[in-house]
Amino acid sequence: MSSKRILYLFLVTLFVAYVFSGNVQAAQYPKKPVTLIIPFSAGGSHDLNARVVTSIIPQYLGQPMVVKLMPGAGGQLATAAAVRAKPDGYTLIFTHNFVDQLQPLIEKLPYDTYESLVTVCRVNYGPGMAYVRADKPWKTLDEVLDYAKKNPGKLKFASTGNWAAIFTFGALLFHRAGGIEAHFLPYKGGGPCLQSMLAGEADFSFFFPMPLIDLHKQGKVRILATAGEKRSKEIPEVPTLKELGYGTGYLMDRTVMLPRKTPEDTVKILRDAFSKLIDDKSFQRFMVQVGENIAYVDGPDYEKMRLQQRKEYTELVKTLTGK
Amino acid sequence: MFDSFLQGITLCLRWDTFGMISLGLMAGMLVGALPGFTTIMAMAILLPISFFLHPLVGIPFLIGVYKGGIFGGSISAILVSIPGTGASIATTFDGPSLTKRGQARKALEMGLYSSVFGDFASDILTLLFIGPIALIALKIRPPELTAIVLVSLIIISGTGTGSLVKGLIMCFVGLFLSMIGMFHFAAVYRFSFGILSLKAGIPLIPMLIGVFAFPEILMALEKEAASYISDRIDLSKVGERLKFAEFRRCFRTILRSTGIGAALGACPGVGQVVAAFVGYASAKKASKHPETFGKGELEGIAAAEAANNAVNGPTLVPLLTLGVPGDNITAVLLGAFVAQGLRPGPRLFAEQAPLVYAILVAMILANVLFLILGYVAIPLFARIITVRKSALLPAILIFAFAGSYVFRSDPFDLKIMILFGVMSYIARKLQFDISPMVMAFILGSILESSFAQTVNLADGNLFHYLFFERPIAAGILMLIPVMAAISLVKAIRRRGGPGSILHA
Repeated sequence: MSSKRILYLFLVTLFVAYVFSGNVQAAQYPKKPVTLIIPFSAGGSHDLNARVVTSIIPQYLGQPMVVKLMPGAGGQLATAAAVRAKPDGYTLIFTHNFVDQLQPLIEKLPYDTYESLVTVCRVNYGPGMAYVRADKPWKTLDEVLDYAKKNPGKLKFASTGNWAAIFTFGALLFHRAGGIEAHFLPYKGGGPCLQSMLAGEADFSFFFPMPLIDLHKQGKVRILATAGEKRSKEIPEVPTLKELGYGTGYLMDRTVMLPRKTPEDTVKILRDAFSKLIDDKSFQRFMVQVGENIAYVDGPDYEKMRLQQRKEYTELVKTLTGK
Repeated sequence: MFDSFLQGITLCLRWDTFGMISLGLMAGMLVGALPGFTTIMAMAILLPISFFLHPLVGIPFLIGVYKGGIFGGSISAILVSIPGTGASIATTFDGPSLTKRGQARKALEMGLYSSVFGDFASDILTLLFIGPIALIALKIRPPELTAIVLVSLIIISGTGTGSLVKGLIMCFVGLFLSMIGMFHFAAVYRFSFGILSLKAGIPLIPMLIGVFAFPEILMALEKEAASYISDRIDLSKVGERLKFAEFRRCFRTILRSTGIGAALGACPGVGQVVAAFVGYASAKKASKHPETFGKGELEGIAAAEAANNAVNGPTLVPLLTLGVPGDNITAVLLGAFVAQGLRPGPRLFAEQAPLVYAILVAMILANVLFLILGYVAIPLFARIITVRKSALLPAILIFAFAGSYVFRSDPFDLKIMILFGVMSYIARKLQFDISPMVMAFILGSILESSFAQTVNLADGNLFHYLFFERPIAAGILMLIPVMAAISLVKAIRRRGGPGSILHA
């Protein structure tokens, strides 16, 4: 057989296989790769989490999931794209609660996230941890807040962009501690924010367990309080913000969402795939190695949490900005 | 320390480490050469592969992608005037002119050798001085960064071709453009006119493609199509290699640029783009024939390429010693480390010193492989331009559009590319050099945010803060009048009279 013939045969087989496989799968939803939009730039914690998710979920979805980075305007560019996407289940967004529920309260945006997007699930959250540099005099969170109360505008708070996670944690805490006036130092992103604390420029800030717990154990920083219902297993001596009386909400929920108009059964297929992913052994192992938790909340439950968040944030924004 | 170092060497002598570094280098080179795909995107996409590999295979693999990607960006910069990444902007000043003269291979070889040298030297410096570099990295805070960027801006501003006044005009246009979008510090939007895509500012990659590649296409259209298509490059010279004498002539420049790159690399937040600019500008200033720069000077390529690659080594230091990533590239590497169960930071150094040294040794190995692979790949890349112009030009056009789009999948970016393309074309017709605009655009945003932070930190008393609490920053700022005086004296001497400086 000549090589041309072999090639011809091969192509015909491929074509036939393609046609038949198409027929078999026609009814089932993921017929082509699914896109997962990330509203932030490469290398951030969202990106890292998404890489773990997308490297394992194909086993349960039957199709690859492709990460598409759309950084810009604090996540608004990507959110707008997700809202505008065809509601066919092929475009998802991996977002977080501040982009989802807080931003629409601050700015006039051409979309309403609650009306336009529905939750597939919450994968996990980044718990905020309040900390100071180890050589600062404050040993407890209350000491820091006392200092801030007595010296209005003196406490330097290292923050990320306006209404991003660390900013919001700070605003929330200062608001609940009785309207403390702090000096916000904004940095471009979490990394520079942490560096400024290590360099001793700022007095007080929030950050996430990775790498904060390590820095705490090395004696470079002192974690004063952690978010979440329970104390952290790695540093059980540190109290939670809730115990200290500063409430909850210092969490950055990492959620997967898609257009609300997507057909019911498509959403169900996705929700099932993600719930299986959560139970996957290698997924769990990778998440532990990356220093992240798994805090799965299914779609319908998270929808209720979203409404609750909106209420809380509306109140916060009203007291802070007067709007 | 020496023990761990020796252990580190033996640890990374594995065939799969070599194999994956080579694979990473090739992947990086290819992706970097494609306009719009940045090194960081290539690394993020390939990151999950490293999850499933041994740490001493997976992490060197990503480092290979990193190094290959930065050189890959220069390939398209030299051949078709599209900087594949921001780091190769300065390479477009001389590369394309050399290509037009039929010396593409020579230019690529110069680029490769100076890149490898810059990388190699900076890796060795990093290995030897990891402690001091870590200290410097902690000392460079917003006030120091402001001072460094200001000094860089002044060094760079001396490189424009043509009239000084025109250069200054373009510089101000660039500074203005850098202010468009969200001003991070005060959280206000400026000049974005409610356009969602402009809220994050003008995207760099589409702008670069527009500024550097689009006019080339328009220029080609301008000539009579028939004559242009038949007008093929003198193929007899395409294969021309770099002569040793030429490399030796540029060696001083390569050394200087390596020093500049490594020093700037130790300062977090400065980066490859600035290093390449400063390296190029200093080479031009030191040259006896600055007029040949920008018109196809091999030394210009050497200066830019050695500088941008020399940044690579020191940028890893804050990650390795503190566990805090300095930029997005090191953030991806941090992801690779933690996915392997390694937490970069002082503890990693204390507990797993051999491993850290093994990674550093792997970086040096990567350079050797880089040299070999580049040597093999260059003739293939150089052949691209021997394709007929009637096929090459449409292909460049497609790449220009595709490259602007893939960056963040926003159709608005195509408009940005075309707008800057037309603007750059007009500027060329009016004899305005567009590169000061791009440099000011890039430096402007770093300068503005670090200055705003400095003012905020100073609590309003800037002078006192700088001179009494930030002596390093104040010291760097004092260099500015000295530098200005030196270049003034030089200019007067060269021209023979004070009145002529403005026309320099």
